[in-house]
Amino acid sequence: MEKIQDFSKIKFRIKDQVYEGIVMPRTLYEDEDHITVKLSNGYNIGIEKSKIEILKIEPQKAQSEVIQEKEFESHGPKILIIGTGGTISSKIDYRTGAVKPAFTASQIVDMVPEIKSIASINVKTIMNELSENMQPSNWTLMAKEVHDAFESGYEGIVIAHGTDTMHYSASALSFAIENPKGPVVFVGSQRSSDRPSSDAATNLLGAVTFAAKSYSPGVYVAMHASLDDDIIAIHKGVKVRKNHTSRRDAFKSINARPFAFVDIKKQEIRFTENKQEVKGSMRLYEKFSERAALLKFYPGISDKYLLSIFNKDLFDAIIIEGTGLGHVSRKAFPYLKDYIRNEGFIGMTSQCIWGSVRLTVYETGRDLLSIGVTPLEDMLSEVALVKSMWALGNGFNLKEIMPKNLRGEISERREVQ
Amino acid sequence: MKVGFEIHIQVNSARKLFCNCNPKNEDISHLEFRRRLRVSSSELGEIDPAAAFEIKKGLDIIYVSGDKTSCLVEADEEPPHEPDPYSVEAAIKVSNMLNAFVVDEIHFMRKIVVDGSNTSGFQRTAIVGLNGNFDFRGKNVRIQTVCLEEDAARLQEKGEGHSKYELKRLGIPLLEITTEPLEISSEEARALAESLGRTLKLTGLFARGLGTIRQDVNVSLEGGGIVEVKGVQKLEQVSKVIDFEEKRHKMLFEIAAKLKERGVNEDSFEIDPIDVSEIFKSYANPTVKKFFKDSAMALKAPGFKGLLSYETVPDSRIGLDLADICRLFGFKGIIHSDEILKYGFGNDILNQIEDRLKVTDNDAYVLVFGDKEKAALCLQMVKERLKMAIKGPVAETRYATDKGTTRYLRPRPGASRMYPETDIPTIKITKEMKDKFKIEVKSWEKAVEDFSFRYSINKEMAEQILDSDFIDFFENAAESFPNVPPTLIASLIVQVFIPYQNVGKNIEYDEFIKLIELFSKGSIAKEAVIDLARYMLEKGLSLDNALKEMNIEKLSVDDLRKIIQEKISEVLQENIEPTKLYGTLMGRVMSVVRGKIEGKIVDEEVRKALESLKKD
Ligand SMILES: [Zn+2]
Repeated sequence: MEKIQDFSKIKFRIKDQVYEGIVMPRTLYEDEDHITVKLSNGYNIGIEKSKIEILKIEPQKAQSEVIQEKEFESHGPKILIIGTGGTISSKIDYRTGAVKPAFTASQIVDMVPEIKSIASINVKTIMNELSENMQPSNWTLMAKEVHDAFESGYEGIVIAHGTDTMHYSASALSFAIENPKGPVVFVGSQRSSDRPSSDAATNLLGAVTFAAKSYSPGVYVAMHASLDDDIIAIHKGVKVRKNHTSRRDAFKSINARPFAFVDIKKQEIRFTENKQEVKGSMRLYEKFSERAALLKFYPGISDKYLLSIFNKDLFDAIIIEGTGLGHVSRKAFPYLKDYIRNEGFIGMTSQCIWGSVRLTVYETGRDLLSIGVTPLEDMLSEVALVKSMWALGNGFNLKEIMPKNLRGEISERREVQ
Repeated sequence: MKVGFEIHIQVNSARKLFCNCNPKNEDISHLEFRRRLRVSSSELGEIDPAAAFEIKKGLDIIYVSGDKTSCLVEADEEPPHEPDPYSVEAAIKVSNMLNAFVVDEIHFMRKIVVDGSNTSGFQRTAIVGLNGNFDFRGKNVRIQTVCLEEDAARLQEKGEGHSKYELKRLGIPLLEITTEPLEISSEEARALAESLGRTLKLTGLFARGLGTIRQDVNVSLEGGGIVEVKGVQKLEQVSKVIDFEEKRHKMLFEIAAKLKERGVNEDSFEIDPIDVSEIFKSYANPTVKKFFKDSAMALKAPGFKGLLSYETVPDSRIGLDLADICRLFGFKGIIHSDEILKYGFGNDILNQIEDRLKVTDNDAYVLVFGDKEKAALCLQMVKERLKMAIKGPVAETRYATDKGTTRYLRPRPGASRMYPETDIPTIKITKEMKDKFKIEVKSWEKAVEDFSFRYSINKEMAEQILDSDFIDFFENAAESFPNVPPTLIASLIVQVFIPYQNVGKNIEYDEFIKLIELFSKGSIAKEAVIDLARYMLEKGLSLDNALKEMNIEKLSVDDLRKIIQEKISEVLQENIEPTKLYGTLMGRVMSVVRGKIEGKIVDEEVRKALESLKKD
């Protein structure tokens, strides 16, 4: 049977029953031997093509959904919302079920009308990448956009981003923009915005509220604090990590409390620490090098693997996610020694996620220190990786800059929580 | 009058449709979380009046999650798992049984439901079978669809500004069987629902017990919209609800005719709610104090004078529907001009309101007290409802009350509220599956006969038990206590459980199992079982308390023997004829021990005692 044009009206017979409906597009994962028909009651069903006797086909033009930008008025501080892709800035096509990018100012206002009275917003989509596809070059682009936006007078920036690597991007921008003029708030959603229960709207509302009202320069991530829809946690971009595959409160501040909370209903911001003062003028260091790598140490790690990673021809910096306080097996020592002798940088973080590394407690740690491994305190391994890419990209001395606390990525004390 | 059914029946699966929770588990702890559902405003109204209505109410939703009966999936914190294979199989079996065309691919859809009963904001549902038929009294009733869907969360509490739902029921697999609307009497409709329900029960694929089967009834009169009545749990309600709706529909046609006579048309509704707070602010009589807090909004009801309280059957008046709309918005109710005199606001106030609304002879009006913005929204809904009255009965969703009347629930959702569920891949149904998943169901008569034979109970009782929610109780009790005659358990169900359930009593299985256990040990008499059960349900007592209150001491056989000896010495002194000895003695003993011990045991012991007397 010939391919029937999508969205055609169709009348067909199976055995002695006549059915009518609309032919729906098939997804990539569905075969060509069946057709999907939307019946008049709204249900889709799949039928084997060979079974049906077509009585009538009326091809219809696929109604392309033209997004009409509507005029709206919004009041408050000037906020730029930057779209980069991901769940939060895409929309399901209800007819086909496909998720496609859609991120315009009027759509945001449509989804979260409360925003109009909080900030005067503009929206700019600069890329459309799923978060797993983000590259250091994307960070560079984002950093430049943010820098330029502040230069042109915006008071706060909100970046809508896929959640999987949002903490990498947040960390990248934390380093790339020194002394940002205002808040840069990353925001995502864990439950797709095509469902009435999506966290997209409240997260966005929390992010815009913080960007417009907190007067706290810095880079942050705004996501649900718990399973409740009313409190949004504001995490520092260098202290946050995605810790759950699907929960809306997947993002947690590690070794720190969230910087602030936004109460959506009351429109209040509650800070957990003193706000940071801007100390100097804004400066952009937008380059990132891909000559850094992250290695998770595990029992049974093979020599071949170690040999391929600790290779100065390929990498200038290796961040190790060691065990416990920051250890690797003795058997790895020769590779580490060799690599450092060749002027490679090795930074030590912990795969425990919570807590700080400490290489002075056990013999293994002291050996690693004497080999020349740099302990990175309680810096998250992902943050350490991004920081090393940034340091390499902008020509800093890693041995010097990596253990130094630049943007709050290292905490001196960890509170009893 | 045309009547159609949507029968919802819970699949007897050990897991839910999209996760591995078993709702039969016992929860150890509970956790609450708070949500709000949103639908973007451009989609509101255009897409679905029902969704628009729910969102406009702006209520907070609180969910209660039990640790063993719900998980992250029900909390909408984890994507759905693979659909339950047992339920898919059950849906195919039932489709085959009803001679329906089984689809080649199951496509799950999202049916937008934003009242909070689904955490996601939609119910997942799919068509498995189409165009079946069911033989009913020689008529071929067409089955439009057999759908596999997830049950909704149970509303636990409706407070001011919030609704609270319990997640245990959410996600339980349901089959929905939809019959084509038929010209049918209410009695026939009841019989049809009964017959279809019985056939489904006999498949053994479904859960049994209270709330496991419920029907939505669709009713329409020629020229009117289809009214869907939800939550008809008992068959007895079916015919009552249909009769009520028929009368209500006729009344709505009358009202429409009257409105036409008065020249009311769509244009008459180009009006908006008006803020009349100022009028109330200057008065402080007790009525005003009672109702007026921060603001009052009013809406003219053009041409409705006398029609808001007009009713042909109790509780059918439009005024009640309007009050229900306002209650759904979290208001206590409304006051409308047909009834306003009884409140005692004073003529001054009423005159001013009428002036402000420009009310003329035939007009009525509606007042709502409370939050201004919400009241305005609510009155917009009231206006829509009034406007629909021009056309007579309109499509809407109502719910059945215990009395067999119906009340307003929401506007009827359209087909447009269905979207593909992208989280669940389509399921292929192969020819092999279609051929393999078949089920034979015996006739109801045969099932009753077999049941009555198996437990040696009469057919009438057997049928009543099979039809009831207590078949599990019966089988469980009969199997656990083989020395208890099944007729006793059957009598308990037929004479006590069913009548008390019909008046809304909750039957606690465990307490009654204890009761039967007591009897099986011989501690209480047969008559006492029924009496105690009645007493427990009448007074809402546990077994222990009922025993105390009814003064039933559990008599041991040893005690019985002592009593028999006492009575024997009494009787012997009276020189009674030997032939009358047994009867007299039995009578004397029973007068003391009746209800405290099984009569059969008394009989045995009395005979034994007389035997040994002879020997002496
Ligand atoms: Zn579950």
